[in-house]
Amino acid sequence: MTPPTIAGLVLATPPSLGSYGPLIQEIEAALRSPQCSLGVIGDIIEKDVDLTARLLRFSNSAYCGFSTKLSTVSEAISLIGIQQVQDMLSASSVLERFAGLSSEFVSVQSFWQHSLATGIAARLIALDRRLPKPDRLFVAGLLHDVGRLVLFLQSPKYAQMIFEVYGKERLLLRKAEVSALGFDHQNIGEALLKSWKYPPTLVLAVGHHHDPAGCEAARVEAAVVHVADHLVNAMRVGSSGEKFVPPLNSQAWATIGLTPEALGPIVAGIDEQFDAVQEMFLGETKPEANA
Amino acid sequence: MPQIKTELLQEGMVVSRDVKNIDNMLLIPNGCKLTSRQIGILQAWGVHEIEVVSAGAAGDTDQLSRLPPELLAKLTAELRATFWKADDADPVFTELFKLMLRRRANRPGKLRL
Repeated sequence: MTPPTIAGLVLATPPSLGSYGPLIQEIEAALRSPQCSLGVIGDIIEKDVDLTARLLRFSNSAYCGFSTKLSTVSEAISLIGIQQVQDMLSASSVLERFAGLSSEFVSVQSFWQHSLATGIAARLIALDRRLPKPDRLFVAGLLHDVGRLVLFLQSPKYAQMIFEVYGKERLLLRKAEVSALGFDHQNIGEALLKSWKYPPTLVLAVGHHHDPAGCEAARVEAAVVHVADHLVNAMRVGSSGEKFVPPLNSQAWATIGLTPEALGPIVAGIDEQFDAVQEMFLGETKPEANA
Repeated sequence: MPQIKTELLQEGMVVSRDVKNIDNMLLIPNGCKLTSRQIGILQAWGVHEIEVVSAGAAGDTDQLSRLPPELLAKLTAELRATFWKADDADPVFTELFKLMLRRRANRPGKLRL
């Protein structure tokens, strides 16, 4: 049995824009036109009735926290921002890319619940610390463990080997990955998102979320994802396969400059926003119980 | 969802139904986390009571403190076992642990020994 390589796993997972592909391309084309306006983008999105309904519910949810009720897509875009709507659509495509697949090692739904909660946490940390582009950090949190999902789905035999080691010895799942493969899910995620042409900072934040100090170019972003992942592991919202709450990297914590007192409102915010975000990306489903 | 009188509202409570004035104008939308300014607006418009998701952190603390000692010990041990490293000298860990314990104690469903 030949062990999988990072390049092989990436090649086996080509990018796909999924059912939102034509819409994403139409929006990109409209944005290049000098006549583009919010109304034009709104008209494009409103052609998709289901997306329009979800986008409006999402815009009126606690995640966005606007004090006025938004009733049209162009109003929603004007407050949320076109960039964020594009990011949301592209993140939806990634979830759709893996929809319907199943892994015996992790429930795909539970995996995305962990990922969505990490995205919410990363954005809330960014808002607390007034970091630029908090919505990009949502996407980084959402995709931080995507390498693990690719590994489990593309290489189930090696995933089984990893879980055998993980079941026998007291070690973290990431260390079990390294001992079986020589690399871990961070490396796969980084290579995959790079090949999918995601922004470099986001790619590096995903590729170093267990070792933020190892990446000078995206040290803060990687540290935010690291702390967000730690919080969500402690909260047990979904799971990406790890049964322990991995240790918090004190350097990452210091990099962000959060205080322990800030954790309460962030944890409350994750609980408050989770249902709306889950509905936007996964449809109406309740979080899976995970003691 | 509990109905709370406007004078008992606290910052951070989450509104669970749109609050409108007598002219049907939206004052505060469903899902909004109350700020002191918004509580002032409600009082100014003469809104007597509104629906909120939970009564906020004060209620949560009570829930945890009402647990019988054996149940609290069991919950603490279970939670501790989920952490790879439990460092009671680390203020970040102690704060997170306290929050997670409260969150578990307030989770729907019965806690059993």
